[in-house]
This record gives sequence, structure tokens and C-alpha cells, in this order.
Amino acid sequence: MDITVHGTDPFGNEAYRVLFENIMNDLGEALAIEKAELVLRPETPLFIFSVRLRAEPVSKTIADVSSLREEGSGVHITITDERYAPEILGAMWSMYGRNSVDQQTRFDMSVANADLEAVSKTVIASGEEALKEIIGSVWRSMPEGIKVRHVFITGTVVTVVATEEIMKPEFMKEGAKVHVAMGGSADV
Amino acid sequence: MFEVIMYDGGVYRSAELFELIEDVGGAVLQKIRSSQMLTVTMSIPSEDKESVVALCKDIGGEVKEVPLAGTEIAVVGPTLGRHHMPHPICDIAEALRRKGALSIVMGLARGRGKGTSQISGSEVAIINEYDAAIFCFGNFKSCVEAKAELMKDIKIPLILVCGPRPEGLEDYCEGIVPGVGRKSERMRSPEERDKLDEIVSMTETVLKDKRKRMSEDPLFVHPSEVKQVLENYPPIDMCLRPSPIVLHLDGLRAKIPYDENIKAVSDIMIYDRRLGDIAKITESKLDRSSMLIKIKTGSEVDYDDARKSAGKA
Repeated sequence: MDITVHGTDPFGNEAYRVLFENIMNDLGEALAIEKAELVLRPETPLFIFSVRLRAEPVSKTIADVSSLREEGSGVHITITDERYAPEILGAMWSMYGRNSVDQQTRFDMSVANADLEAVSKTVIASGEEALKEIIGSVWRSMPEGIKVRHVFITGTVVTVVATEEIMKPEFMKEGAKVHVAMGGSADV
Repeated sequence: MFEVIMYDGGVYRSAELFELIEDVGGAVLQKIRSSQMLTVTMSIPSEDKESVVALCKDIGGEVKEVPLAGTEIAVVGPTLGRHHMPHPICDIAEALRRKGALSIVMGLARGRGKGTSQISGSEVAIINEYDAAIFCFGNFKSCVEAKAELMKDIKIPLILVCGPRPEGLEDYCEGIVPGVGRKSERMRSPEERDKLDEIVSMTETVLKDKRKRMSEDPLFVHPSEVKQVLENYPPIDMCLRPSPIVLHLDGLRAKIPYDENIKAVSDIMIYDRRLGDIAKITESKLDRSSMLIKIKTGSEVDYDDARKSAGKA
């Protein structure tokens, strides 16, 4: 993750670079972020945090994060992306009941009387959910008192403009400028 | 003169230690037992320190210096939110506890923000109950300087811990420790441990000054002597709260309900005087189930006596 910080307080610049990196690592978002640009102006106060993701968050089906095969009258699932294991298990329980799901290991489960096509098309994570998590983690890395926020989203670029009391038009303009510089579109 | 030390060891032969403390005229300030391990903070006469230390070593324990023993310190953050807790506030509270202080962590209800942060009268009153307070602010100089308003009504010794060194705040606090700020993980690197040591040593210095000022007009009776007497008072003896009596530099906090016990506590006799006459007993602002006992100084007691004999009181 490449982080650039522009700010007026040298101590704050370095501290927030470390904070942003630590918080993104803690929340498991560091791998999804390619580049981040932080504008810190505490005296205004104006904070612009812009991130460019490696890929646009899209909905994930069970087939995207696991390999599936028919096994007798059921389906055997081998999970390839561990992050989605709880969602897959939850989806199978709700679709076929707990008695039909036999979880042999953390990554393997057999579902009795299941239909391969129905299982493979089941959506277990929406792109919106992933985006929400990224925005949440950006909010968490901002100072606590900066509660008035506006979010720009274009494809893989997410920019959060935040201030303490009144969101002035010039703040929005500045946020849009950073958003465009990160690869977002100007018509947000 | 009394010295405060801490025994850290097992419970094996600890009865001998308690007996020796009693024999030399000392007092147990705090006793924490966890399974077979025991920590005892004690106040003993300097001339008997050697024999007590020798016994502690003989029974397999370790003796530690606890310069902050007998004090209760508040570590205050702008809020209790995850932006400020648990780090670095809890790390500082832990460092103070390791030096014998009883530390508490507190978050203000509306302390966040640069222009919108506030402190209420009741928060100020609660903080003023402690021996000292440590305020932890963030990473931006302008923000730290703007938040100085939060400290202006605090009457107890105050230390400011923040990121960059602010300007013009020397009148608001007794000491400033810069280089900490907001943190998202535990302070465990050597530089961060050094910072914690710096905070502890500044707290020691500030409290030493307070003790020195107090020694100009000493308390009528030492708080540990009141503690020894209060320990035999049944509601305190039966109190299940941790540390039912907490020592302060100028008195103590008893964790028993004020309304139910004020009369009985005021009537407890110490050196042939009612406790109510030699101390100001008030309800704690923190919660209704504790009381604060502020011991009067020798001159205050003499003044009260003079007024009484003149028939004015």
C-alpha cells in the first residue's frame, strides 16, 4: 500500500501515515488498497482521505471463492478464500438446513441433497458490503471529532472529505480535485 | 519517616510478613492475591526497612520500589471511543499501576473535536477528586492548543500527554510530555516504553511537589492511620469491591454508601477525636456508593478547636 500524506503539521503527518497503515492492516483492508492519499489540515479543519482499490468491489458468489463438485446427490465445497468461510456456511445452513451440512474441515463441507447450480450462484458478499467496509475503515482512521463527511465513489476510487462543523463548497471542490487526481471521475 | 515498598511473591509464609509489618508499626496499603501469588503494598518505618526486605527475600519474594503508592490518579481521554481507547490511555494507566498508583481511566462525554469539545461541571468535579490527572490529547498541535480549555478548571496537579509540543499551555498544567498522541496499537517499542517511563517520572515529580507543599502544614493524621481504623468498620470489612479503601495524599476514598454510613463514620474515634471533626467527609461525585474523607491539616484542627472554645462553632 502506497501512502502519500500532505499536511500542515509535520508530527501529525507522520503519525497519521502510521495510524492509517495500522488501522487498514487491523481491519484486513490493506490488501485491497493500492494507493492512499491523505490531506490533513487540522487548523481548518479539513481532512481528505482518498484510496484507490486494486479492484472494483463486486458481488461474490460461492463459485468465485471455492471449488465445487457433485458428490452423490449433494455437493462438496472446498473453500479457496478463507475470508468467506462463515458466509458460505451460513448460506448453506439457511438453504438446506443444518442437518444437511457436514463440515469436515475449516475449508471442506458436504451438502446433502443440494443442487450444484443453485449453490454456485448463491451470492455470499455484495460489492456494496465490501465498499461499506472500506469506507468504515477510512472513517475510523480519521480523527474522532471530524464527523461531517461526504464520500465520492468512482469505480475503484473512494474519497472521503470530512470536517468538524460546516461542509463548505470549497472543501467539496478540494475533495473532488484529490478524487480526480487519484483516478476518479470529475462528475461525482 | 515511613517508606512505601511492594512485596511481589507467593503466599507461602506471608503470615510472617504481615506479623512483622504489624510489629514494626507499619500498615498494609493494598493486598492483592491472585491464586498462589501475592502483592502487598506496605508503608513501614525507614529504620525497619532492612529487616522487612530481608524477610521478603527469605520467603521467596521480590521487593519493588513504588514511588506512587498511596495515590489515586485519573488518566483522562477526550472520549471513550475506539479512537482514544485503549491506546495510549490504558498503557499509561498500566505504567502508573506498576509504580504503585491506583489509576483510573476516564473519557469525557463531549471531549472530541477541535472547536466542539467540552467538559461539564460534573466531569471537572469528578477529576478534582483525584491526586493528579493526566490528560491525553492527539497528534495535531493546533488541536491540542484549542483543547486547553478542557483543562482550565482542573484544580489538581495536571500533566498533559500529547503528540507535538504545544505552545502557551504552561499555565494550564504542571508538566507536558510530547511525542505520544493518538495510537492504534500497544506502546511496546523501546522508544514508547521510554515515553511511558517519562510520564511516570513526571507524575512522581509533580506529586513530590504536592507532598512538599502539604508538608508545610501537615495533615492532622496520616491517611494510612485512618485506613487502619476504618478497616475494622464492619461495612468496609465486608465490602466486596476491589480496594474498598483507596489512599489519597490528603485523605482517602471509602467505597461504602455515603447516606447509610456518614453518621457512623463521622463518630469513629481517632486519637480521642471524632473523625468527623478532623476530616471533611463528603459524598463522592463519581458514584453515590463512595465517600471522600479529606483530612484537615493540623492548623485547621487547631483553628476549629479555638473557635469551639470561644463558643463560635
